[in-house]
Amino acid sequence: MTPTATRPDGALDGGAVGAPVVRSEGLTKRFRNGQVAVDGIDLEVPRGAVYGFLGPNGSGKTTTIRMLLGLVQATAGRAWLLGEPMPDGGARVLPRVGALVEGPAFQPYLSGRANLERLDAVDASAPRRTSARRIGDALERVGLAAAARKPYRQYSLGMKQRLGLAAALLRPRELLVLDEPTNGLDPQGTREVRHLVRELAGEGATILVSSHLLSEIDQVCTHVGVMRQGRLLVQGPRDALGTADAAQVVVTTEPGSLAQARETFARLGLEETAVDGEVVAARLGAVALADVAPALVAAGVPVLGLEIRRPTLEDLFVELTGQGFDVSG
Amino acid sequence: MSRGEALETGPATVAPAAAATTPAAAAREDAEVRATRGAFGRLLRSELRLVLGRRRTQLLVLLLALVPVLVGTIVRATVDSAFSGQGPGFIERVSGNGLFLVVTALFLCLPLLLPLGVSIAAADAVAGEASAGTLRYLLVVPVGRGRLLAAKAIAALTLVVVAIALVTAAALVTGWVYFGYGDLDLLSGQSVSAAAGFARMLGVAGYVALSLTGLLAVGLFFSTLTEVPIGVIAATVVVSILSNVLDSLPQVEAIHPFLLSHHWFDFAEFLRAEVSWSLLGQGLLVQLAWVAVFGSLAWARFTTADITS
Amino acid sequence: MNRTLLRWTVPAAAAVAVVAAATIPTLASADSPELPDRTPEELAAAVVEAEPVPMSGSAVYTARLGLPEIPAQMTGGADPLNLLSGSSTIRMWTDAEGRSRVSLLGTTSEYSVVTDGPEAWTYASSSHQVVHLTLGPDAQEHLADAEAEHAAAEAAGTLPTPQDLAQQLLERAEEHADVTVGDAVVVAGRAAYQVVVTPTDDGTLVDRVVVAVDGETLVPLSVQVWSTEATNAPALELAYTDVSFSAPSDAALTFSTPSGAEVTEKVVELGDLDAAPEHTGDVPDGVTVSGEGFATVVERSGGDLEALLTGDPAAVADELDHPLGGGPGEELFGDMGGGTELDRAALYEQLTTPVDGGRLLSSTLLSVLVTDDGRILVGAVPGETLLEAAGLA
Repeated sequence: MTPTATRPDGALDGGAVGAPVVRSEGLTKRFRNGQVAVDGIDLEVPRGAVYGFLGPNGSGKTTTIRMLLGLVQATAGRAWLLGEPMPDGGARVLPRVGALVEGPAFQPYLSGRANLERLDAVDASAPRRTSARRIGDALERVGLAAAARKPYRQYSLGMKQRLGLAAALLRPRELLVLDEPTNGLDPQGTREVRHLVRELAGEGATILVSSHLLSEIDQVCTHVGVMRQGRLLVQGPRDALGTADAAQVVVTTEPGSLAQARETFARLGLEETAVDGEVVAARLGAVALADVAPALVAAGVPVLGLEIRRPTLEDLFVELTGQGFDVSG
Repeated sequence: MSRGEALETGPATVAPAAAATTPAAAAREDAEVRATRGAFGRLLRSELRLVLGRRRTQLLVLLLALVPVLVGTIVRATVDSAFSGQGPGFIERVSGNGLFLVVTALFLCLPLLLPLGVSIAAADAVAGEASAGTLRYLLVVPVGRGRLLAAKAIAALTLVVVAIALVTAAALVTGWVYFGYGDLDLLSGQSVSAAAGFARMLGVAGYVALSLTGLLAVGLFFSTLTEVPIGVIAATVVVSILSNVLDSLPQVEAIHPFLLSHHWFDFAEFLRAEVSWSLLGQGLLVQLAWVAVFGSLAWARFTTADITS
Repeated sequence: MNRTLLRWTVPAAAAVAVVAAATIPTLASADSPELPDRTPEELAAAVVEAEPVPMSGSAVYTARLGLPEIPAQMTGGADPLNLLSGSSTIRMWTDAEGRSRVSLLGTTSEYSVVTDGPEAWTYASSSHQVVHLTLGPDAQEHLADAEAEHAAAEAAGTLPTPQDLAQQLLERAEEHADVTVGDAVVVAGRAAYQVVVTPTDDGTLVDRVVVAVDGETLVPLSVQVWSTEATNAPALELAYTDVSFSAPSDAALTFSTPSGAEVTEKVVELGDLDAAPEHTGDVPDGVTVSGEGFATVVERSGGDLEALLTGDPAAVADELDHPLGGGPGEELFGDMGGGTELDRAALYEQLTTPVDGGRLLSSTLLSVLVTDDGRILVGAVPGETLLEAAGLA
């Protein structure tokens, strides 16, 4: 019996199996200047998921995260974290949530360690006697133990980002909200963060990770939500998104056989056939992949290479929005 | 900004969880351990360390403490010159009795330097954290906003008190070294013993510190409105100057008794034969009124504001 | 959203509470307290004849004479000159037995007049100067004990107290004004009668004088002098803000010279005393008086104008003495002779405006004309009246 289930306010039991860890209903934020940053979104992040929260800069991801964490008041709609309504349940639920919001921010003249000590001192429910150990562990985990005594202002961008992650890991967390966690990291750092996210997920934490870099999320997330201009275009399990028939079959052949390959594809009923150099590609659609290679061989097309391309998140995004992802901004 | 608010936003009572095996359950258990007793004390100590440990603040306080040293040195150097006995406030009395250096220093600091210090303390408290982006991380730790504001207000007030205490201490030491202490001649012409004079100087310092609480509350309110600390400093200093200006205009004398700065110089009461406690009380009541209004404004604003920095 | 609004009601409530706390005492005092009926004559006489009672209190003095404010830098601290404009706080203690202390409070300074029988001291904290006044032998010989007690204090240039001011104004009220009793008011937390004195002569700048007299002890608690030229606030106001009718402590009433203070000894001779001509009823040489009551114009010729213009304090005091025969003018201009070192020539330039044939000082209560041929005219009348009287209009 978890104590949350006995709360008199009748809030949802955050520990119940199947109850979403993050949920919102019609969550809306209209800023005072009239701009609608978030427009009635219904989020649902199941327990144990690594939820990729995608969208170009300015699409409302950060504002949504701020509303979820109680930093920004929703104009309309409701939100729950771990079954507790936000922002009212913040004092109860936020200790179980680690967050990195819009990049790291610390007192520049304090050391990394002193900054974490400060955050831990602010936490009314953090056990004081384990403070030093927990801080040490968190620094160790993000690889900052050696630089812990250096003032924050001397940190590189990557170190700053790591310290932000360490702050989110000061206590065991059920939910981690990581807003652009790889921002500013070099490829090695990015790989480390990805590794960390997998590790945390493996330990049972639910992770909501936002990014405008689709490729880095693509490799870790189990669920995806895509935002554009304040609206949640689509969300669901990664595998269910982008229907199976969106997969492409790509055959590499000799230049003289390109036309033949193309005819074969047409005969099989593949659509959207395109020729590019020595490669012929087509959407697989409902055609069984097993039928493709024999048909090509039967038609006398020399198959130098055959591959199946599943759509990337980028493709998915383009498909959903009809436009490219603003990677630069 | 009251204590009541600090209590109100404290975490709700939750019973300790049963032994947990999964990390998620461990997280829950850890979080739901009762908010440790003295959590506010821990928060406050952390705030104080932050505020008093800041180099820039230390430098500022040190510069303030240099005022009495500087004034004392100048008076000492010119004691036999044509400039002797000239200058503002009590400066002409300093060479006769080192105790007067306390009032002289505070008199010189009160119109501008101390309000500036108050403004900086207020600006750093909330707007400073907002501009550094650290405010959002404090709030998601989480910490109740009312609680955080209360800790910040107390820390800022402590900074002001420390600044005034250091100015007073520097003045007492400088005055003693250069001129020694003696019976204190009051403004009314009577004199009191050096010990009584010393106590009266402490009264002056205490009253000056309390006189600045209203301005601090105004500054804190400004601090909750913006993410630009320099704007808070400017606005708060302007308020104190405006208050002084209005106080000198006879056309608006109806509002004089309610102005922030109207009773600032009433610290001189401690130098009169019969200290008018009712006048000092009025001065403190005016400060209390400003603290009540602007403190609650700061609280209302800070507990409802969208943190977008 | 509702909760947001709810939060903002807290500061709103705090503001309302503060405004209420600030205004309710004022409103409460606006209620007219109950006092037994007394006739105007009875009250006026009681004030004029009142014997001093032991008391102490703080009074606020406000002058709205339409004169430029004298910057504090000019006077260097608490100085009687501050009484020409703006607000000042005065504290007084008296044991009613010849000992008293009256202090004018500056921001960080004090000007005190301490009287002990035939001796008096003034002490200015900003200049750290003491003036000790004692009566000369002939003065002591010629004056009765009671007169001697006031002589030194008068020579010191007293600071106004509501009692003094009320007495001086009401003394002349009987002949030249209508006296009525207005609604009772609360002054310094005490129920008080209001005696309203309206000059019968409309040639004066004084519209009316309102004196609040304590319902119990009949001690004047406040004096307001209203000008005909400014009707929204009294031109001169002196009112206790708190008062206590118990004997003050010895410490407040004794004077000891502060260490290192510069002491000026001043012996008051009979000739120095303004009281002398008043008592004999003579008008001194070179002085002519025209008009009567509140519209009296005093003209003095052959004055030491040069000394006046170069700022000899004694000359200023001498020349400007007693324009109202003991009214507020004395308090104001008599005290210009106080012991401060400031640029009086500059002050004179600042306060007066050039007119054909002289320089004129106009305030809402008093006008002073200094003619180029060395005459000085003073009166509680408009400047034109003085110009006419001087033959310059």
